[in-house]
Amino acid sequence: MVELIWEAIGMGWPVFVLLIGLLFYFQTSIPDPDRKKNAMFKTMIGMLCAFLLFIAIANYKENFSGETRLLPVSLVMITVATYIMGIYFTNIGALMKIGGFMFFVAAALSGYGNWLPQVEGGFPPPEVKLDFASMTAQQLADEGEKIIFGGLGQSKVQGAIGKGQCPLCHGFQQGFLSERAPNLYGIPDRAEQRLKEPNYHMNEPDKRPTVQKEAYPGSGTATNAIEYIAESHACPSCYVVPGFGVKGTNDTESPMPKIHKPPISLTLGELAAVDTWMFVREGKEAPPYETIVAAYEKFIPEAERPKEATGGEEEAAAGGVLATGDEPVNEIFMKAGCVACHTIPGIEGATGKVGPMLVEGSNAPKRLKDPDYKGQAQSVKEYITESILQPSAYVVKGFPDNQMPKDFGKKLSAGAVQKIVNYLSQLKEGQPPPAVE
Amino acid sequence: MGRLLSCLTRKHKRFLAVAALFAMGGMLILPIFLSLPALAGGGAPAAGGPPPDVVAAQEAAKGEEEGEKIEMGRDVYYKTEGPAIGMPAPKTEDNELHYPRYNFESRVLIWVANQQHLYYGSFVLAVPIFCMCIEFAGMMTKDKAMAKKYDQLAYDFIKISLTAYSLTAILGGILIFTFLTLYPSFFQYLSSIFRPVMHIYALLFVAESGTLYIYYYGWDKMKEGLLKWLHLSMSVILNVIGTVLMFLANSWIGFMMSPAGVDEQGRYLGNIWHVIHTALWNPLNVHRILGNMAFGGGVVAAYAAYRFLSAKTDEERAHYDWMGYIAMSLGVAFLIPLPFAGYWLMREVYAYRQQMGITLMGGLLAWLFIIQATMIGILFLTTNYYLWQALGRMTGGERFQRYIKYLVFILVVGLLVFITPHTIVMTPAELKAMGGQQHPVIGNYGVMSAKNGGINAIIMTTILSYIWYQRGNRIPTVKWAKFGNIFMGCFFTVAQLNNIWLACYGYYIPANVRIGLSVPQVAGTLSCLFFMSPLNLAMLKGGKVLGPIQWGRIPPRSQYALIMLATAFTWMMGLMGYIRSSVRLFWHVNEIMRDNSPWAYTHTIGFAANVISFNVLFFWISILFVFWLGTLGTKKVPVPAVEPVPGAPAPQPAVSR
Repeated sequence: MVELIWEAIGMGWPVFVLLIGLLFYFQTSIPDPDRKKNAMFKTMIGMLCAFLLFIAIANYKENFSGETRLLPVSLVMITVATYIMGIYFTNIGALMKIGGFMFFVAAALSGYGNWLPQVEGGFPPPEVKLDFASMTAQQLADEGEKIIFGGLGQSKVQGAIGKGQCPLCHGFQQGFLSERAPNLYGIPDRAEQRLKEPNYHMNEPDKRPTVQKEAYPGSGTATNAIEYIAESHACPSCYVVPGFGVKGTNDTESPMPKIHKPPISLTLGELAAVDTWMFVREGKEAPPYETIVAAYEKFIPEAERPKEATGGEEEAAAGGVLATGDEPVNEIFMKAGCVACHTIPGIEGATGKVGPMLVEGSNAPKRLKDPDYKGQAQSVKEYITESILQPSAYVVKGFPDNQMPKDFGKKLSAGAVQKIVNYLSQLKEGQPPPAVE
Repeated sequence: MGRLLSCLTRKHKRFLAVAALFAMGGMLILPIFLSLPALAGGGAPAAGGPPPDVVAAQEAAKGEEEGEKIEMGRDVYYKTEGPAIGMPAPKTEDNELHYPRYNFESRVLIWVANQQHLYYGSFVLAVPIFCMCIEFAGMMTKDKAMAKKYDQLAYDFIKISLTAYSLTAILGGILIFTFLTLYPSFFQYLSSIFRPVMHIYALLFVAESGTLYIYYYGWDKMKEGLLKWLHLSMSVILNVIGTVLMFLANSWIGFMMSPAGVDEQGRYLGNIWHVIHTALWNPLNVHRILGNMAFGGGVVAAYAAYRFLSAKTDEERAHYDWMGYIAMSLGVAFLIPLPFAGYWLMREVYAYRQQMGITLMGGLLAWLFIIQATMIGILFLTTNYYLWQALGRMTGGERFQRYIKYLVFILVVGLLVFITPHTIVMTPAELKAMGGQQHPVIGNYGVMSAKNGGINAIIMTTILSYIWYQRGNRIPTVKWAKFGNIFMGCFFTVAQLNNIWLACYGYYIPANVRIGLSVPQVAGTLSCLFFMSPLNLAMLKGGKVLGPIQWGRIPPRSQYALIMLATAFTWMMGLMGYIRSSVRLFWHVNEIMRDNSPWAYTHTIGFAANVISFNVLFFWISILFVFWLGTLGTKKVPVPAVEPVPGAPAPQPAVSR
């Protein structure tokens, strides 16, 4: 409060000096005692009001971008000041009283606005490159949850919304009332049934009653669950769930936008992540990434596919990447330095002993069953990918943690990781290694 | 020359005056006709020819034949093909080149500049419409005293608007400079798309100014006979130009919200009509006209209140009491259809992009609509309060006072029901504390049919208050008066019961069925408005007059109700403008040009409320200054308030016409 008063004095000192000057002037220049008393009194009132006004302005300035809930206090102070002036300065009384009343109304409305829960719309999502192709199912699902709800664990928060904007219309929890668009709980199972609906017309798009028969001429219809989900995203009006069409169109047109188009513009990788989350969160096995992407490629022509963000690629071009994936796998092992620590059958020079021998076709299934395994992989390939990208997710017994670098996710391209995973998954104890490609 | 003029008869002079005015009017609007071909885009034929995009496509094809390859683009909204002749929307970055800045949030600066220009623009567009109506009413009235009063009122209105007009132009200049200096890339892109429209806008502004000055300064010269009619027709021209001006400005914001006429990269495709006629243009036009009128009524009512409160004589007080009443009635008359225009706009928003509609009504911006609901309630409560106070100026009005408490009860209950939210946007902590998505008590309430019930009860009560006001000093004496009273009472009762019953019934049926209940609810209210008000007038015709309306005999607090109305209109206009603009989220032009400035996020409600309050107060401080300036000028002495002779029609607001 003291600081506020000092700031008010700092801002308003010329006015205060003027008013004090007036005080002295009236004291010396008005001979009539009654008139002098009146003038002195009005000047004092003026000083009080000026003081109130400058405190209000100082408070406004101080809190404009900070504690905005205090701003109405300023307005109320201005109201009081103007009313006092309205009472004593009769020549401008009406103007001051009206002004004061308006300040009061504005203050009340501002106060109301500040009293309500404060929700700030965040910045638009940054355009970052994620390597969806090399993620495990769980990692993909996590990314999917972020895209739908804006963050990990947000799927249970009411009102949470992410880049995909899906919860604006769809419900996601079992039994949740979803009036604008179908509730998507159970969609992995329900998608199969939708294909059999009479209005779906599987493989007979021309018979569809909808405004759009196919995603694009010749794309055909979906034939399995994941294709159904992909088609729903790429061409919402190809089939409309009864009761959810645009009002007045008799369910021949969907209000849903095409998700790969602006404003949402999800890439195929992001769409795959979203779909994976819908399977994984129900404890179901999600189709492989490649299968999901292939389903989308069926319904979204090449020219319409949103481009992946380029920021990461630029960084890669600047020299951050060890292997691009165009090299043969033995070269990738060499470039990445794997051979220094690991013994890898079939790779010349890979005789390291710092880390375990990489016969992952045999090792991975055992480790996935190990009670100490706390990772999220569910298959051999997922386990290998996880071991490369998150080496501490499971540390093989007898080997120390934190020995292996944790930034291979940034230094190897998706293609390079894929090649490593393919090769290592084929290595089994007692069997000859596969050919190097 | 002088001799020649003296030879002309009075009739000839009139003819010459008319011809001169037509010539002047023609010259004023000539630039618009000359620029019509430019409107069609790239010099395409003005009328009768093929549509501009077809012409442009033909030219593109011709160019291609001649060896120049012109890329074709597909309209994002109309889905038509056209040559991509414009520049693509710039991909901005957060730097000084795209977003030069002071050490302050540029978005707030542009917000304030825009809002101030809009307030003044709305005011100077609305007031001439009032003038036109009032001047017309004056010319149609047979009572000479009343005619003079109306004429004086119209003159008073236009006098206020004239001072505000130059401020509007100054604020427009400030707005353009703010755009050019703080958002150069965006403004360059927008002006590249709207190049011809912006020039026509400027020309229309010149035409508007010319017409306004002739209209104002010719008031005394053209006060009788044919010249008076000519004067009135000039106000029609003035309003046509003003309305077209507003429509053109609306096309810019319509384009920013729901772009059309460009391809996915934002390249102009040669059809200017597509760019103007976007999905939301027409609903915005209608909504803004009504909004401007309600706002204009509010500002003039506040002016009258100011003059009433500072009046020195009873005559002045009587004149400004009457002026405030007329302005308030006009404002409220346009307030009543405003929700329907708003409903249409919102329906078109949903049809254009469902997620945009939900962001407004059920997402990030939903709380702002709770504020709006509260404000609508405040507006109606204040209107009722004013009408009850106004009963005091009529002998016989006191017989209704004892019933007012029941109306207060209905209004308060209706308001509480109307502002009860159903689902609330919450933080996780709040969600946990509440134990679910909906509040354990109020979560059961607040469905749409109940809210509709609340607001319809409020509107019906307002209509009833108005009917009582009309009956203040009169008693119906028609033969069927008793039957009419019973019928009217039954009609109101049935309409209200139907409204309440449907509001309750809505809780027992699914949401998609519940939406349909709004139709019979609104139908009941509109029936009260359109059948009961005329019925009341018919009953009062030739009725017994208990005493004259004593204009000026009204408590000063009633004038604060007018000021409250004006401030609330202004605040609500700022609020709704903020909602409309912020629904684009992080897009300058929705889905075409992304906002990459550091301010591409949505502020909290509190911050928005503070800026709106700042805007409102800034506007009112400046307009009070304008009012004060108005009192400094040459004063036309107000015509003494003369109560029309018994039997002659008392001034009635537009709402009952």
